[in-house]
Amino acid sequence: MLSINFFRYKIALLNVLRNRRRSLITLLSIQIGVVSLILFGGFVASMYEGMRENMIRSQLGHLQIYQAGFNQYGHIEPEKYLLIQEQVQQVSDLVSGLAEVELLTPRLDFSGLITNGNQSVAVVGNGIDPDKEALLSSAITLIEGEDLFPEDQAGALVGQGLYNALNANIGDYLTLLASTADGAVNAVDVQIVGAINTGTREVDNRLLRINLSHAQDLQFTQGVSRLVVLLKDTAQTQIVMDKLSQLFEQEGLTLEMRSWSQLADYYHEVVNLFDGVFGFLKIIVLFIAALSIANTMMMAVMERTPEIGSIRALGATRHEVMMLFLTEASYLGLFGSALGVLLGIFMANSITLAEFIMPTPPGSSQSYPIRIFVEWTVVWQTALTGVLVAVLASIYPAFKASRLLINQAMRSA
Amino acid sequence: MRLVNLAKVSRFFTLGQSRVCALNQIDLAVDKGEFLVLKGASGSGKSTLLNLIGAMDEADEGEIAIAGKALGPMSDRQKSHVRRDHIGFIFQSFNLLPVLTALENVQYPLSLRTGGKAAGASSHKENKAKALVALERVGLADFVNHKPNQLSGGQMQRVAIARALVTEPDIILADEPTANLDSENAQSIMALMKQLNRQGITFIFATHHDYVLEQASRVIELRDGCILQDKQRVAA
Repeated sequence: MLSINFFRYKIALLNVLRNRRRSLITLLSIQIGVVSLILFGGFVASMYEGMRENMIRSQLGHLQIYQAGFNQYGHIEPEKYLLIQEQVQQVSDLVSGLAEVELLTPRLDFSGLITNGNQSVAVVGNGIDPDKEALLSSAITLIEGEDLFPEDQAGALVGQGLYNALNANIGDYLTLLASTADGAVNAVDVQIVGAINTGTREVDNRLLRINLSHAQDLQFTQGVSRLVVLLKDTAQTQIVMDKLSQLFEQEGLTLEMRSWSQLADYYHEVVNLFDGVFGFLKIIVLFIAALSIANTMMMAVMERTPEIGSIRALGATRHEVMMLFLTEASYLGLFGSALGVLLGIFMANSITLAEFIMPTPPGSSQSYPIRIFVEWTVVWQTALTGVLVAVLASIYPAFKASRLLINQAMRSA
Repeated sequence: MRLVNLAKVSRFFTLGQSRVCALNQIDLAVDKGEFLVLKGASGSGKSTLLNLIGAMDEADEGEIAIAGKALGPMSDRQKSHVRRDHIGFIFQSFNLLPVLTALENVQYPLSLRTGGKAAGASSHKENKAKALVALERVGLADFVNHKPNQLSGGQMQRVAIARALVTEPDIILADEPTANLDSENAQSIMALMKQLNRQGITFIFATHHDYVLEQASRVIELRDGCILQDKQRVAA
């Protein structure tokens, strides 16, 4: 097949180069399409990653381990589904043997009211191990004051929104009321040591973090609600989950586990929304590129009608004529996509390096610099789509060319 | 040996609401080695007849056979193969592919022939060698790398002749091949084709130029789609 292909490929290439201005405009439209999709795909990927890591490193961790039944009934009677000290120790021993794990830390959840004497605000609180949470919650930023330390027995970190709502100052003492494990009401004093920002406004409006021991005192319990596991790499979440399930089974521990993905409903909603937006944008961009390519190829067919007649007269079949035009379209798609990929990668890296600041997104309390990842899956899929669209958009013009009547085509010279 | 056989061939065209008869019940047989000229005024049916013989158009009535193969029942693909394997074309406007060199233009019909089979690098070389020989035969060995726009009208028509020759067709159809040439080039091209005819190649011309008629071994005069006269003559 070398002989015919040699000529087809050569003629197609020379025809692409023949009307350079028109070919350049077509290449430009493919290129703009490819660049847009690479940039948008890279931006969305960076946004997904930022949101995912922010959720993991401010609230969720990679894995959470609970008492069996916690996720089904724990929100009604949380006190009945606490992990007891013995279980916490057993799990800690098992988890510490896994190389993928960065740390494991306990949390005790509570909800209650905090009051400064003048006003009371509902809070959602966590009793935490401050040393370990400093590593796990690295995405939480301290807005004012200082971090919580284990020796600050009555110390409390409050969300930025809550801090503003209470009109409090660092060092102020507040009273925290909550239910104990056996249903009574208890109160403890807490001293505000810092105001924090998790990146999510709704959380910041209600969040209170105190020492685990203080939270246990408040609730008259020695248990914890959950154990939060931070891994070295998010990609290892499922592997570690599988390993831990196996270990728990071997040890006869009846525990439940949830991955960050199972806990991050908001993340999945955003991903679904943006995947839809990306898909719609992709269709529009590709449609515009397809129109440009189809227009170029139709013009080429009209201009080269006598030539088409000539090669048909010389013995070329309709299939050969069609393949000639589709080969030209493939060249346009290949060159356009290749240039688009190069420019897209260059622009993605340049924009990331420039660190343009994005406005604060809805529901978030932090602005952030634009980062555009070079997502290789997006890059090769977009490049391939560019070529495919070029070929698909040329099918009709190529078909028209192949169906020209030879004697009429020759006469149009 | 009979190369072309037309039996009761008619061709009609629709112009607006009227139906025009371009060819009417034509019977024609052409044997190997003939140098046949179709003459007649514009609109007499010369080009229509050439198109039908060249399998580039379809008759509305009658039968056409080329090299013993009836065109009527053939698919478009089969007709392409008939053109490719049995017929060479020389056109009034040369119709060379502008993006290819003279050598590549001549090589192109060969690539169509070998491309459908298991052709490899060796056949590509063979095709190139054949194309070079064809260009030498028409006196253009020094112009192989010239693009059509770098050639004169006479040179372009020689390339077109080489392209028609290179596949060693049974028959060459030439539609007004000298119409776009000055008289000196036209005479030279005719001399070349006459020389090729002496080597056994069959030619069918459509023309109204006298110097072409002088070379013909047979002249068929057409008028209003009918054969008015079919005259054998001794060529000059």
